Amino acid sequence: MPDSIAVDTLVIRARDGDQRAWEQLVERYAPMLWSICKAYGLDRRDIDDVVQYVWMRAVEHLSRLRVPERLGSWLATTTKRECVRVRRVRYQRDSAEYPLDAAAVSGDEGDDVGDDVARALEEAERNAVLRAAFAELSPGCRRLLSLLVREVPYSEISARLGMAVGSIGPTRSRCLARLRADAALSALMSADAEVREGESHV
Amino acid sequence: MSEAWDDDELLSRLRAAMTAAEAVPREIVEAGRAAFAWRDVDLDMELAELTYDSAVHAEAVPALRADSAVLRALTFAASRLTIELEITDSSLLGQVVPPQAGEVRVQGRAGSGGPLEIDDMGVFVIRGKPDGPFRLHCRTRTGLDVSTSWFTL
Repeated sequence: MPDSIAVDTLVIRARDGDQRAWEQLVERYAPMLWSICKAYGLDRRDIDDVVQYVWMRAVEHLSRLRVPERLGSWLATTTKRECVRVRRVRYQRDSAEYPLDAAAVSGDEGDDVGDDVARALEEAERNAVLRAAFAELSPGCRRLLSLLVREVPYSEISARLGMAVGSIGPTRSRCLARLRADAALSALMSADAEVREGESHV
Repeated sequence: MSEAWDDDELLSRLRAAMTAAEAVPREIVEAGRAAFAWRDVDLDMELAELTYDSAVHAEAVPALRADSAVLRALTFAASRLTIELEITDSSLLGQVVPPQAGEVRVQGRAGSGGPLEIDDMGVFVIRGKPDGPFRLHCRTRTGLDVSTSWFTL
């Protein structure tokens, strides 16, 4: 239940000092920060610094965010900028120490990862909606879908859940139908359908 | 609803969502939780935003500062106080503008450091370079209470 609260509400609560609301925002966007940093090819130590910086800036920024629901986009942009900066610092250091090596890789220092950031944001929002909808399901559905997601064979699922192999398929459909009925998820699916439709008309 | 994702697509998207969350090291999430402790409850403190960074405006630096060992120059501006910083190999040289005396504290992931003097010319020196994100919290004798935004060297 708590996971389905909208981002703007969480931002407003966090701003007022609600630690739990902040933690939900962190859970929601941590995978996005991680994937942007990975896309920029930073090593783990740099990623830790970038991420820590971005979280601290975000806390500082909470009360200044004019449109609370844009926190995700603010996080994506800030993470991207810091990744670019860190990469540039590393590059300058490397080119001072190993001028030839650095020169060899300097040609493609352009910001070719930029487009991926918009995609990372979209993906993070979509994944958060999916995870929240999943969390709302009955324990039985969550258990079954968790196993299916891990591609556990039906025979093993049957043994683990004490369920006839023949009823796994229908139960799977029923659980997915319930997942699909989630309000946020169905809004997301219709938005996605519109995009697809738009593309097919081009 | 024909436009909804079918079972296979839905399941594979759910898989992607779960995998993405599981791939994130716990420290990344922990750092996020811990950052909340830095929430500014002191509403009198003003934020000085980064307005200039030689690492970003790289081309301008050599011409301006060819004579010194300054590695990076930063400017943070609040409405009534500007904090200029020059980073050298071993220290941070700072000046508050307009010049005035006071004290400055370095706040970083290890917490808040002891107060360092800002002299009458508004100058202060911080020995060593903080590791990871940090910010400078300045209190001037004229009663200004200003913190830089977080930054990393």
